Amino acid sequence: MDFTFTEEQKILRDEVIRFAQKELNEGIVERDRAQEFDRSLWEKCGEMGLQGLPVPEEYGGIGADPLTTAVVLEALGYGCRDGGLVFGICAHILACVVPVVKHGTDDQKQRYLPGLSDGSMIAVNGISEPGSGSDAFAMQTHAVARDGGFVLNGTKTFSSNGPVADLAVVYAVTDPGKGYHGGITAFLVESDTPGYTRGQKFEKMGLRTCPIGELILEDVFVPEENVIGGVGGGGPIFAQSMEWERACLVASHVGAMERLLEDAVQYARERKASGQPIGRFQAVAHRLADSKVRLEASRLLTYQAASKLDRDRKVGLDASIAKLFVSEAFVDSSMDAIRTLGGYGFMAEYEAERALRDSVGGTLYSGTNDIQRNIIARWLGLKTSE
Amino acid sequence: MSTTAVPATDIKASVKEYILTKFLPGEDPNMLEDTTPLITGGVLDSISTVELVSFLEEQYGVEFEAHEMSADYLDTLDQIAATVQSKSA
Repeated sequence: MDFTFTEEQKILRDEVIRFAQKELNEGIVERDRAQEFDRSLWEKCGEMGLQGLPVPEEYGGIGADPLTTAVVLEALGYGCRDGGLVFGICAHILACVVPVVKHGTDDQKQRYLPGLSDGSMIAVNGISEPGSGSDAFAMQTHAVARDGGFVLNGTKTFSSNGPVADLAVVYAVTDPGKGYHGGITAFLVESDTPGYTRGQKFEKMGLRTCPIGELILEDVFVPEENVIGGVGGGGPIFAQSMEWERACLVASHVGAMERLLEDAVQYARERKASGQPIGRFQAVAHRLADSKVRLEASRLLTYQAASKLDRDRKVGLDASIAKLFVSEAFVDSSMDAIRTLGGYGFMAEYEAERALRDSVGGTLYSGTNDIQRNIIARWLGLKTSE
Repeated sequence: MSTTAVPATDIKASVKEYILTKFLPGEDPNMLEDTTPLITGGVLDSISTVELVSFLEEQYGVEFEAHEMSADYLDTLDQIAATVQSKSA
């Protein structure tokens, strides 16, 4: 496969890097410390068109194909040192915007995609529950048909963007006997709907500028025109959104890994020990060489998976491989950046420690890496226990 | 391949062979009948359902919506053939 950038991809990539470096990085150490989400940065990204990357132009987006979406998110991860903001934008696009683009009615697209694209709206994906994480379809949240719509009850947890979101993509059981295969339905729920409340907000290890919390649904009436993709279609819609997330969210990790490597190489050239730059010590040089190998392998796996989105129903295997490899490479490369920076790498102002904390999240969200290994094994025809 | 002239018996035979080869290697073909539950019976999980749908789309030139990748449409060979035929009508 040839992944040579088109002129359009080069222009987009360069524009986004310049934008992110200029507009998104000031005050990140303080925001991370305070777990502060800055909505003005979200809005700037919207003005730049980032949240509307895969949205057709007629609905206010820029109509990028999946590979271009990944290339631009990689550029965002490279230019923006605020991993929480990058993650929040990725979660918004990949788990919330994509289902509407792919399965929404024209009415839903007209009502929601312009706001979701221009930065005026924030979306949250409501899937995980207190009693069901990796076994997402063991969910308790249910929806009962009533008076031209559905009444939803349940609690979602670990919902990224939840404390600040205006719109939720909520998955609920509509036929308890069918599970994934026809028993789950996806709903668009506006956050000002009676009975919808934002519950507990959580403190977390990394990605601290992306707020995360609970969504509580108590007799929330959702009109049937807010069902996404038909009653019972929630399982495959969620699965597709995870394919996008696994293939494209890790693109932002690739960008962050490249930035970390550049910082570490520069430090290894300048920092002297025993009268010579530490990069001349083989232990340091080899560590950075390993980071370079992980970076390039990650990039290829990401591009391969992203290029198959929308073209190959069996992209799930590529997406899981990319997610598994890149997220673990990100942890390893963050740790190696800290090792290279030494004591400075342990200090908050040098930011490598934040990258390490952020990177751990990548091994957990979009399906833990244990789950990715299960999925890959199942694609190999091996029946793993769930 | 167009579905226009494909009889249900041919679709069922083709899908049966695919399922036996792909998901039930070594299984007695007589155990897989036209009414054997595939999804609700645990033969097809979420991933193998995607693989089956991919096979049907490529083989018969049809497209599936998200809500159709379910037991209501794909649980038996009879249902699969009917679903494929309805999409070609």
